[in-house]
Amino acid sequence: MRGAAIATGAVVVLGWPWAAPRYFVFLASLIVVNSIVAIGLNLLSGYTNQLSFGHAGFLAIGAYTAAILAIRASWLPLPATLLAAGLGTAAVGLALGVPCLRLEGLYLAMATLAFGFVVVEAILNLDWLTRGNDGLHVPPGHLGPWALATDTARYYLVVVVGALLVAAARNITRTRTGRALLAVRESEIAAQASGVHLAAYKTLAFVVSAFYTGVAGGLFALVVGFLSPDSFDVFLSVDFVAMIIVGGLGSIFGSVVGAAVITTLNDSLAGFQNYRPLIFGAILIASMLFMPGGIASALRRLPLLASQTPGSASRTPGSAPRTPGSAPRTPGSAPRTPGSAPRTPRQGDDR
Amino acid sequence: MITRAMLLLLLAVTLSALPAAAQPGVSDTEIVIGGSNSFSGPLAYTGEQITKFGVDLYLRVVNDAGGIHGRKIRTVYYDDGYRPQNAVANTKKLVEQDRVFAIIIPQGSPPVVATLEYLEENKVPLLFPYQSSPVTRARRYVFQGMTLSDRSSKMMIDYLAGQRKYKKFAVLYQDDEYGKSFLTAFEKDLGRFGLKLVAAESVKREVTDVSAQIAKLQAAKPEVTFLVLVPGPAAQALRERQKIGWTDTLMVSTGPLTDERYLALATDAAEGVEGLSLWPDPVISDLPGVRLYREHMQRYFPKNEPNRYSLAGYFAGMLFVEGAKRAGRNLTRESLIAALESVKGFESGILPPLTIGPDHETQKQGLWVRVEKGRFKPLTDWLKSE
Amino acid sequence: MTSAALVHVVVSGLATGSIYALMAISLVIIYNATRTLNFAQGEMLMISTFVGWTALRVLSVPLVVALLVAVIAAAVLAWVLERTIIRHAISATHFDVLIITLGLSLMLRSVAGFAWTHDEFPFPSFFTNRPLVVGPVRVAPLSLGIIGASLALMLALGALFRWTRLGRAMRAVAQNQRAARLMGISVERVYSSSWILAAVVGAAAGVLIAPVVFLSSKMGLIAINGFTAAILGGFGSMPGSVVGGMLLGVLENLAPLYLPASIKHSVPFLVMITILIVRPGGVVGRVARRKV
Repeated sequence: MRGAAIATGAVVVLGWPWAAPRYFVFLASLIVVNSIVAIGLNLLSGYTNQLSFGHAGFLAIGAYTAAILAIRASWLPLPATLLAAGLGTAAVGLALGVPCLRLEGLYLAMATLAFGFVVVEAILNLDWLTRGNDGLHVPPGHLGPWALATDTARYYLVVVVGALLVAAARNITRTRTGRALLAVRESEIAAQASGVHLAAYKTLAFVVSAFYTGVAGGLFALVVGFLSPDSFDVFLSVDFVAMIIVGGLGSIFGSVVGAAVITTLNDSLAGFQNYRPLIFGAILIASMLFMPGGIASALRRLPLLASQTPGSASRTPGSAPRTPGSAPRTPGSAPRTPGSAPRTPRQGDDR
Repeated sequence: MITRAMLLLLLAVTLSALPAAAQPGVSDTEIVIGGSNSFSGPLAYTGEQITKFGVDLYLRVVNDAGGIHGRKIRTVYYDDGYRPQNAVANTKKLVEQDRVFAIIIPQGSPPVVATLEYLEENKVPLLFPYQSSPVTRARRYVFQGMTLSDRSSKMMIDYLAGQRKYKKFAVLYQDDEYGKSFLTAFEKDLGRFGLKLVAAESVKREVTDVSAQIAKLQAAKPEVTFLVLVPGPAAQALRERQKIGWTDTLMVSTGPLTDERYLALATDAAEGVEGLSLWPDPVISDLPGVRLYREHMQRYFPKNEPNRYSLAGYFAGMLFVEGAKRAGRNLTRESLIAALESVKGFESGILPPLTIGPDHETQKQGLWVRVEKGRFKPLTDWLKSE
Repeated sequence: MTSAALVHVVVSGLATGSIYALMAISLVIIYNATRTLNFAQGEMLMISTFVGWTALRVLSVPLVVALLVAVIAAAVLAWVLERTIIRHAISATHFDVLIITLGLSLMLRSVAGFAWTHDEFPFPSFFTNRPLVVGPVRVAPLSLGIIGASLALMLALGALFRWTRLGRAMRAVAQNQRAARLMGISVERVYSSSWILAAVVGAAAGVLIAPVVFLSSKMGLIAINGFTAAILGGFGSMPGSVVGGMLLGVLENLAPLYLPASIKHSVPFLVMITILIVRPGGVVGRVARRKV
């Protein structure tokens, strides 16, 4: 059943440019790019509970790195450019993640928010490099002799990179690393008690998250073709957070679904002009009221799909064994709906 | 023999009755145009005014009178919230899915510039974008809308430094494409007079307090201070100036800013302020075209007050219709471009007689105004920038 | 730059800062009681101010009455939103509620656009914009008025928290929800009250700042400065919000005076990041430093 689902999925994804009109190939590329960011963000926020409101900043760094390399070092093959975008952003992620180790919850969210602003300002001011306000045209990439000059060509590039990253993410989450990350989310104290080196894993989450978002940035630059500081405002970061919460925290599948839903929604509502924020807001509210914990966890609650939803990494009844070191229910706390993030003891709860 | 002749005649008649090669956005009964614009975000008010109450207002009048050569015109707009990547997506959708004939009056340099390459590649006309940066110049498929910043700057500096002999100039500008393009233009034009800016301060569009910038500008003692801002920060600047009693500078607003909105916000702090106005007063002007504009607004959107944004959109609609009319029944993108290029001495009743040449710039003039008793009073006639 | 000019810029910064402080306080009130960030705080403030403005324009009431109308509108809006939407999400996680308030902020801003368009409008002030010249010193009544009114409001809030039952109940819930419930405090009522109180504070801030930044559907964005101010001062504490707000306002004004254009806009955020890293409790706060 799983195999059939994946095979069908692969056929749909690969055959999409033949079935769909050109615009929807472009839209699909955007969905994949956003999914990569969402996975990156989820690794940070959904797994280790470090909520970030600055991921547009990481996306910007990746996008501009790739674009500037493509312009000034056009002899670099495309995979190297994307890798460089990812690594450069990961380095920044490291620089941000280490000092933020002792921040949690709200404080971390604000630090990342500030980071997002500072990145955009830096892009504006380094205008000898980024052309600041004028914006940067991204030259169409090429893979060897093949120019990526059409929406379809770029779509396939994005899909291939996306597939690799999704597979890598699933590997991460299924290994010890993934379980350690999850343990960190459930309870930092308990995780530490069972030997999880907190600082290392939290930093790792930051770095990996930044890497993913950086690569997505490079792809973004290629797909959209034009970069400007206006592209990466705080509301874009909030959009990414919405994607993982609506899709489901701590779930790779949820990240992709959330990205697809939010991107498609934003696109289809564009024609409603002034009504767009109204309808979008209403849908956000409705989905949180009716699907607390996100789409992935709602799907998991459907008995049919309980053991078959791919990619989810939080506990479901009867699935993978309990992650070592996960906290037992603290007495008296509100009962958890399966799949939703439990309330980690916050500073104020038990002072 | 008769049969052969009749067959040939039949063939000729059939051929001439066939529709021309399918042109996107043009059918027997309608023309479809559209654009990506701001209906949410920082410039939502402007976006709504130039499209729904501007272009669409004029098109309603034309459609009610039968359209252009028997075709009615329909518009499609998408919201991009001023985000360039959304503008790219919307524009692709308009060209590939909605198959619009042309893009009309998109707003803002970043969203517009993001789509330039794509539109050029696909040979889609971009008509009258609502932005003033010269970066859209010299493209075959683009026709400029408002007077571009370098022309505005030339007119302003020629008038102030050349005619009125001012020597010390400062600028308060927005930290974005609009602000930067004027800053560069001012520096260049002042250079022609051997002058330099004595001070230049920047603010963000969403600034809450301009007291620091005004204080620094005052310290530099300029005779003229340019305001390159949107209405909110500009009105804040004027009120701040009033608060600190800084009277010995002439505040001058740039074209896109010189409108009644910022006067309304600044109230009495705007008295005596001057500026380059790109339009006649939409509420008071007696020009025949402006009066018609008010009549039409009253007829179709009585609750919407006349303002320069909708007037700009109205004018854009007028220009499009003029071009489409001249192109004739056989309307193609190429014939539209040729038709627009051939516009000579077009009397709009709003702006001076318009001639569009190969430079594709539809507006190259402005007029100098001063605020007296809460309204702009013209000090000069139309200034030309060439 | 003369010292008089510098004083003026600082005082102006303190005025904007007091508004940031009020915004921070309203965010903190809700956060302390419910552990949620209300993304819609700014938009709620904006709508209340618009309602007050409508009363002003349509019914020609005096400004004081308009303020009252704004406050009442804020209370009603908060009560309705909390009751109908937030309450139902009580079983959801903090993250879910975050998204709900995000959705609310989008909807409210859109509704404001339909009701009043996205245009900007002047708003009358209780204080005049013209300077009072007292000898060599120029005094700005508008700035001083904002500072004074804000301080008065903050003192009133302080008194509320110390001396009223509701205030004590709110503090109890903020400290330990379970224990408060066990002591017989209705946590649900505290939730409602904190939403209403926060909205009321926001409405007052809105009426005070609207004359300066003008009334428009995007006025709510000032809430972002409120977040920053709250963090700077130490999130969770009232005095912290006040200090943070004033500090932010003054920083924002001093930066353009002394720093080059390229970093002046980033200064508040750089300072915030620095404070978070060096002293996560903020300037005033006492947060347990996590040793990792």
